[in-house]
Amino acid sequence: MEKNIITSERTGDRIIHVKHDSGLDIYICEMPGYSTIEALFGTKYGSVNTMFKMAEDKEYTVVPEGIAHFLEHKLFENEDCDVFELYAKTGASGNAFTSFDKTAYLFSCTKNYKESLKILLDFVQAPYFTQATVDKEQGIIGQEIQMTNDNPEWRVFFNMLRCMYHNHPVKIDIAGTVESIAQINADLLYKCYYTFYNLNNMVLSVAGNVNADEVLAVCDECLKKCEDKGLETVFSDEPDSIVQAEITEKQPVGASIFNIGYKCVPAGGRERLLKVMAASVAADMLSDPSTEMYQKLLKDGVINSSFGTEIFTGDGYFTVIFSGESNRPEIIRDTVSAEIDRIINEGTDEKLFQRIKKSTYGSLIRELNNVEAVANLMMNSHMEGISPYDTIQVLSDLTSADVLDFIKNELRKDRLVMSVIEGTV
Amino acid sequence: MKYNRTEISDKIGFSSVIDPKFKTNLLTVRFITSLGKETVSANALGIGILSDANGRLKTIAELSERLSSLYGASVSCFSRKRGDLQILGFSSSWINGRYALDGENLDEEMSQIIKDCIFYPNAENGEFDGELFRIAKKELLDRIDAELNNKRAYAISKAEEIAFRGEPAELSETGSREDAEKVTSADAYGAYLNILKTSQIEIIYVSSEENNALKDMFTEEFSKLERKPNEYVFRSKSPVKPDAEVFSEEMDVRQCKMVMTFKSGSDDRFALQMMSMIYGATPVSKLFANVREKMSLCYYCASRFSAVKNFLMVDSGVEKSNIEKAKNEILNQLDEIIKGNISDEEMQSALLSLDNAYNAVGDTPSSYSSWYFERFCDGEILTPQELFKNYSSITKARIIQAASTLKLDSIYYMLNKEAE
Repeated sequence: MEKNIITSERTGDRIIHVKHDSGLDIYICEMPGYSTIEALFGTKYGSVNTMFKMAEDKEYTVVPEGIAHFLEHKLFENEDCDVFELYAKTGASGNAFTSFDKTAYLFSCTKNYKESLKILLDFVQAPYFTQATVDKEQGIIGQEIQMTNDNPEWRVFFNMLRCMYHNHPVKIDIAGTVESIAQINADLLYKCYYTFYNLNNMVLSVAGNVNADEVLAVCDECLKKCEDKGLETVFSDEPDSIVQAEITEKQPVGASIFNIGYKCVPAGGRERLLKVMAASVAADMLSDPSTEMYQKLLKDGVINSSFGTEIFTGDGYFTVIFSGESNRPEIIRDTVSAEIDRIINEGTDEKLFQRIKKSTYGSLIRELNNVEAVANLMMNSHMEGISPYDTIQVLSDLTSADVLDFIKNELRKDRLVMSVIEGTV
Repeated sequence: MKYNRTEISDKIGFSSVIDPKFKTNLLTVRFITSLGKETVSANALGIGILSDANGRLKTIAELSERLSSLYGASVSCFSRKRGDLQILGFSSSWINGRYALDGENLDEEMSQIIKDCIFYPNAENGEFDGELFRIAKKELLDRIDAELNNKRAYAISKAEEIAFRGEPAELSETGSREDAEKVTSADAYGAYLNILKTSQIEIIYVSSEENNALKDMFTEEFSKLERKPNEYVFRSKSPVKPDAEVFSEEMDVRQCKMVMTFKSGSDDRFALQMMSMIYGATPVSKLFANVREKMSLCYYCASRFSAVKNFLMVDSGVEKSNIEKAKNEILNQLDEIIKGNISDEEMQSALLSLDNAYNAVGDTPSSYSSWYFERFCDGEILTPQELFKNYSSITKARIIQAASTLKLDSIYYMLNKEAE
């Protein structure tokens, strides 16, 4: 195994990357002076991966919505005990999460990291599902679904996605529905597990107070070699158009909230990174408090400090979102839209562009100040097919012409969706 | 890491925490004052406006433009509740100058901005700038309205209101909407001047390098002010109600909430904290393992102990049909501890978990800042490792004794209308 050193020219930080004989990609960042160790063991498997096959399969397998998240819950139990009980013996704080395009198992600790790493690597490689434990989990996840339905931020976001995407499974709630998880059984879980939890589809990311050789020694001991079986995931064809332009739901909230989203053409790998940086700078330029647009909306009482932006992207989806609290979100939608027209006609403000670039650079430096953020950066970069420090370089090369191109081509009125949660009290 | 605190004036402390690993600097000024219905909203507004603009960068746009050009430096304000006290804060963060692409002197620039925000706000004739105040007041009212959006946080806030009725701690950190609506620009400015005069002030600077210029700036600026600081009490036990109060309200929600508040007269806060770890503060605690995992009665069910008011709170998300069963099991698990059903593994796991949490202090600038502020409030500056020693000698007998002092004070329910 060869150690590949990735160095940040700007900060001098360095990351060790190893393609392990087992098939796993391993990233390690030794961070002197820190006490914490953060480890993430992730698979490129999220809620959107509902249709897949191996190279040897003729047909695609279609699985129930919410199964990636269900599998994450179940993997936390092994034959003898709960994984939390194992971490309790080392003092580590363990957790896991499922997002749209990944599932990750993690721990953070300040001592005994080698023992905790063994626990992590062992339990993720040792599935144990029975119909009885699956049935029990359906009750717990059913409660989780109920709870997220009471979360207005969650609802406003998924309502927006449902207005935006005709077929892409990104519009499906990560946990699925009470009905969809009722279709899950132990056999299906094993099928998904052996498809996506192949080490060739996974990544280990460890940052903080660690020694790379020690981490690799634990990996040598615990990882079981996997044959790459040529996993293919597919999505139903998704048209460029939106489903509907507007949706409003009533909930017991004190402040009405909105998501205004532009459906953009998706991209992958390094092309996605270029697009994300252009989109991010464009969105920040449109929402910056120093702009006339922001000042007018603020002074008119249409927005408050909660007004912000997000770039939401993954395999087959890419959106630019403006969100916040407001009783008059339609004014925000129309004002943002008019501002985009103005920029397309008059061009971007070069001084504002340079300021936003500097500000974005500052936030990337901040990210490297935090063990958890560095561990996540390494895992996410790998899954996106880029190198961890690429972002700073891409930002440095970004021009205002790139941003203008993005605004012209992607922030289109006919792909604009507004989702609102209004109060019932 | 080097920690040093000096009193730069009467009841004004300046602490520096120097740790070479950091790439950013963090300055937090905390003004400690009493929490009162008459002043809470004016104080929150008086402090909240400081991070919007100042006497030199007079508008939100001007200050924001300057900060983004300084690599996204930030200034922000907060109003928090700590028992019966209101902690008002001004915080600023910026990247270390060695990462500045154009060689700017970021420390100097930020020191000027901080000075202008705190000591020279955009105010004249005894009030804040009218436009700034109007925006800040709407912001505060919006924050109060938005409390209901997060049902779990709202339920906890209501539970505290019920548990501490008649005490300052019943108030929220911003006051009610009615209180906030009454505040004028002159009220808010007057409240801020009063904070500068009467509060105890703790300034904590976390960086990879010393910044004596910042300390000198604060020393000089505060020396120009007339100060008459008050004394504040940092811990105040809350009396337990003779009969547990039950308060419920109905909402159009799918999942119900139940928050149970227990109070203790015990002075053994370390045993109470460790008892809470065993009871419901970790994923191997009794509440998680039994109420959630074994009996599937709640999606979440967690305990939290606060030494400031000596109370323990159990908050849970539960289906309406399970509320009574969940309540009984939460009480039953407390009884189990009182009966002495505590395993060696539970003791060890609680200790390891605390040890882990304390050792992690110092891995972010904000964790250092919170740690040293809390130790100041405790009256003894200890390192995390020194404080942890208080736990390592705790026996089961002390935990049983601590648990037996907990009395149920109140229960808050958020009930589901549809389940009727």
